[in-house]
Amino acid sequence: MSKSKNVRRTFLRSTVAAVSMFVAGSAVAGDFDGVTLKVATWGGSWKANIEKVIMPKFEAMGGSIEFVTGSPQANLAKLIAGRGRAPFDVMEVLDAQEQDFFATNEFLQKIDLSKVTNTENLEDWQYSDWRVASWHTQESICYNRDKFAELGIDAPTTYADLVNEKLAGRISIPDITSGGGLANFAAISHAAGGDEVNVKPGLELITKLNALKFWSRGGEVVTQLQSGDVYAAVVHSGWCVRARNAGVNVATVHPVINDQHTGVHKYGWLVIMKSSENAAAASWFINEYNEPEFQLEYARNSGVVPVNHKAIEELKSDPVLAEMLQLESEDINKQLRIDYSKANISDWTDQWNRTVSQQ
Amino acid sequence: MKTRWEFVLLPSFVIIGILIVASQYVFLNGSFYKDMGLGRIGDSATMVNYIRFFTDSFYLNTLWITIKTSALASIFTLILGFPVAYLIARMRSHWSMLLLAGIVVATFVTIVIKVFGLIILFSADGLINQVLMGIGIVDRPYTIIGNQTGVVVGLMHFTLGFGVLLLYSVIQTIPRSLEEAAQIHGASRWRMHMRVLLPLSLPGVTVGALMIFNMSMGAFTSAALLGGGRVFTLPVLIQRTVMMEVKYSMAGTLAAVLLVTVLLINLLAIFLIRRLRAARLVIA
Repeated sequence: MSKSKNVRRTFLRSTVAAVSMFVAGSAVAGDFDGVTLKVATWGGSWKANIEKVIMPKFEAMGGSIEFVTGSPQANLAKLIAGRGRAPFDVMEVLDAQEQDFFATNEFLQKIDLSKVTNTENLEDWQYSDWRVASWHTQESICYNRDKFAELGIDAPTTYADLVNEKLAGRISIPDITSGGGLANFAAISHAAGGDEVNVKPGLELITKLNALKFWSRGGEVVTQLQSGDVYAAVVHSGWCVRARNAGVNVATVHPVINDQHTGVHKYGWLVIMKSSENAAAASWFINEYNEPEFQLEYARNSGVVPVNHKAIEELKSDPVLAEMLQLESEDINKQLRIDYSKANISDWTDQWNRTVSQQ
Repeated sequence: MKTRWEFVLLPSFVIIGILIVASQYVFLNGSFYKDMGLGRIGDSATMVNYIRFFTDSFYLNTLWITIKTSALASIFTLILGFPVAYLIARMRSHWSMLLLAGIVVATFVTIVIKVFGLIILFSADGLINQVLMGIGIVDRPYTIIGNQTGVVVGLMHFTLGFGVLLLYSVIQTIPRSLEEAAQIHGASRWRMHMRVLLPLSLPGVTVGALMIFNMSMGAFTSAALLGGGRVFTLPVLIQRTVMMEVKYSMAGTLAAVLLVTVLLINLLAIFLIRRLRAARLVIA
């Protein structure tokens, strides 16, 4: 009798468990039935990575992802043109857009952090109710070792080391309108003795650097390093990795900024737009973006550095990335983080235009 | 019953009106308001943007660079394009059609590809620099990136095919018999060109030059890619003002100044041509 009871009990439990699992499984599978999540991101490999890793998972749950491609500035312009009614649900923004987005949060809605479980692998400052960090780039000096050796110049350690007659017209610096333009401009200003408020020393140093051009797309840097037009470029390490992969003998240097900082980084953030009616899907997307699998895909294809600690640890096994990126927490924490809340970007741009333009 | 043919034109008139006038109106109207940050504009109309433009040497220099590079590109495009157009127009073989087709196809190639082609040609290890250094004309590679020369070359590359096609159609309207008559009466080839061909083609050449100039004034890609972030023409500055600074009103002001400048230069050119006609220096 007791044996029969036990069998019945076990059968009942198994049935309940199986039904529960089935119900739970179907809930996940159908969670986003009919949901079209619109993601504002860059085009190219950025979009391709999402299409490859995240999109199939979302589609398996019944949803679909559409892209609104463009730079964060261009997407901000779309947001403003739509008077806050964003043509997208979730958006990639840069830390330089601190004042555009985070000073008032008026374009944003809160993220359901309970659905972003990957935050447990992020630093505390890398997430809040309004934003979650998605990647970072390490802005560096990418230099051609062969050309430097030919000219008898030592590897640079600071931006000022690029002020050299032999390098005149052979340096490429990011234009202030480019993705890393603001971070690098601020870093050069810090290194020259200025800061976010006083950028004049930075402009003076940039003038002395006698750059061939101010690049607006990272791909230009790779082309210029390949063609031999440029011997060194201020660019994020990912582009230097691509130049190395393209066969140019380049190395990265994370420039000494001051006593406390070596190197500078730029952060990407994910936010959910206030007008979005797909907040749950957007939160899910943000979590998937921070999955180690996706973070590694991004790092290997685009050269950006993960924010997820697990992904950073795994990246150390890649010899090229380990050589060209700073992957130890101690080094990452020493990198300069620009305080954009102090910056007057419009004034920076105005001063930049007047200084670099050929009159 | 009389057919009102003007109604046939109405749909295209309305569409053109919406596409050109309405889209421009938003920016031009915005130019009279103050930028309030984050793309917002003030409530009351003001001339503050125009005052800033005309009292700030940076903006005035940008206007001057835009006019200068466009004018130089137009002149050099005419100098390069006229002989080619003349040759094709006067060819008697089937090659003329083939050459014309080649030029038409070349104009379809996107300007980004054309400019990158130029960048590769003029790169430090590129063909042109290898030749120049090989024959000792320069001792270090010459670059067209980040200077006004490069922008002029880029604008020429952008407009040359179009210019040749325009000039070809102008030259074709001049009867070959007039050239032959001049030469039968003892005019040298040079004299025939200067006294017959040039005066007869000048109105058409002027219109062609103006069209090339107008295209160059509004050209963004060549100036942005070859200017290397150092040469600011008005279209480049407009793009930066809209995309980076999100100052729609100031961008509208820059667009308005560009539009009015182009209109004024075109009107001035037409006025000069009329004066020349009146003085019988140009044959209409």
